[in-house]
Amino acid sequence: MSVQMKDKDAYQRLNFLYQAAHCVLSQNPENVELARFYCSTQKTIARRLVLRQDPSVKRTLCRKCCSLLLPGVTASSRQRRRSRKVRFTVMRCLSCEQSKTLLNHPDHQLWTERPEAQQERPKQPDPGSSVKNPPGDQTRDASEAAQSAGAT
Amino acid sequence: MDDSLIRAGIPLDLVKVLGVESRSASEAGTFTRAFLNNHMQQDSRNDARTLLTHKAVMLDFVRPKKDKSKRKSKTAKGLNARQKREMKVFHLKPEHQRYKLFLPLHELWRQYVMDLCNGLTPTCSPQFVQQKLLKADFHGAILTGTSKDTAGVVRSKCPSYVGATGILVQEFKHIFKIITKEDKLKVIPKRNSVFAVEINGFVSHIYGSKFEHRASERSAKKFKARGTIDL
Repeated sequence: MSVQMKDKDAYQRLNFLYQAAHCVLSQNPENVELARFYCSTQKTIARRLVLRQDPSVKRTLCRKCCSLLLPGVTASSRQRRRSRKVRFTVMRCLSCEQSKTLLNHPDHQLWTERPEAQQERPKQPDPGSSVKNPPGDQTRDASEAAQSAGAT
Repeated sequence: MDDSLIRAGIPLDLVKVLGVESRSASEAGTFTRAFLNNHMQQDSRNDARTLLTHKAVMLDFVRPKKDKSKRKSKTAKGLNARQKREMKVFHLKPEHQRYKLFLPLHELWRQYVMDLCNGLTPTCSPQFVQQKLLKADFHGAILTGTSKDTAGVVRSKCPSYVGATGILVQEFKHIFKIITKEDKLKVIPKRNSVFAVEINGFVSHIYGSKFEHRASERSAKKFKARGTIDL
């Protein structure tokens, strides 16, 4: 019990740092350095305490320079096609030029989205996705909303 | 396209359906400037502002030709210390050091601490709150003390640090970087000084000499009672 409670604190802290990075960028889109600092702190905490973060969070962080990837602000996102059917979304960090390639496929599912992963949770309390998911998704929605508003 | 059409906000009935509000003119302006800076040819003689006054804007970003002789591996290796120093990854540019830009961050931090201490009612025991704060994150906190005449840095061996107040922006191993109300970035060493953090009437003091870890290490580290602090 005590272990789980301790982890809860750490997850709240990760969530706060992720939101803080979004907050800084929404205030001033050019202040990449501070957002990067928060995200790298978040990454180091997760590494030290061995906490799993949701793929939706990990995919918005640059692996090389730890900056937050928001398409249009700190990253460019393009659709690439390798063959006739296989398409990819290529996200490229604008500050360090590291790119990540994500498959676009309607039938492709991540492990956390599969029903097996959902059922496993009640037996083994895994605070990873259950705590992390809602706030992360909220911030993502908010940022997307902000962007579409900014684009108008 | 007509200019007024571009600048128009989202109509009211659509706002309800989409759950999205259009930004104010100034916010939209900063976004546009950042977007153009990032996405246009970097070596063009004109900067974004002169281009905005003219009408034609070329949006395609021409990437310099790749050097095919040395192909980088696909997986990211991270940056080493020298590259970090050269890129200045964490250096805040002076034009971003404005106090009012950090107020929303402080608001977020307040919510975070309230959530962490489940409400922070007056019945909470101080030990419980301080136990939580030990592992909490202090980015965005206002280092201040409402009690008496002291503020921010309550006590320090160096008298010129006493009284500094502001929002904590970055925390390093031996240093707090705070931004004051006069839009100045102040660097305050942790060693030999005492800071005060105020949340809804709870004032807790941070003894900097015991706090000399990186912000990320603190969550994993155990604190041990060792020695006394003479200040």
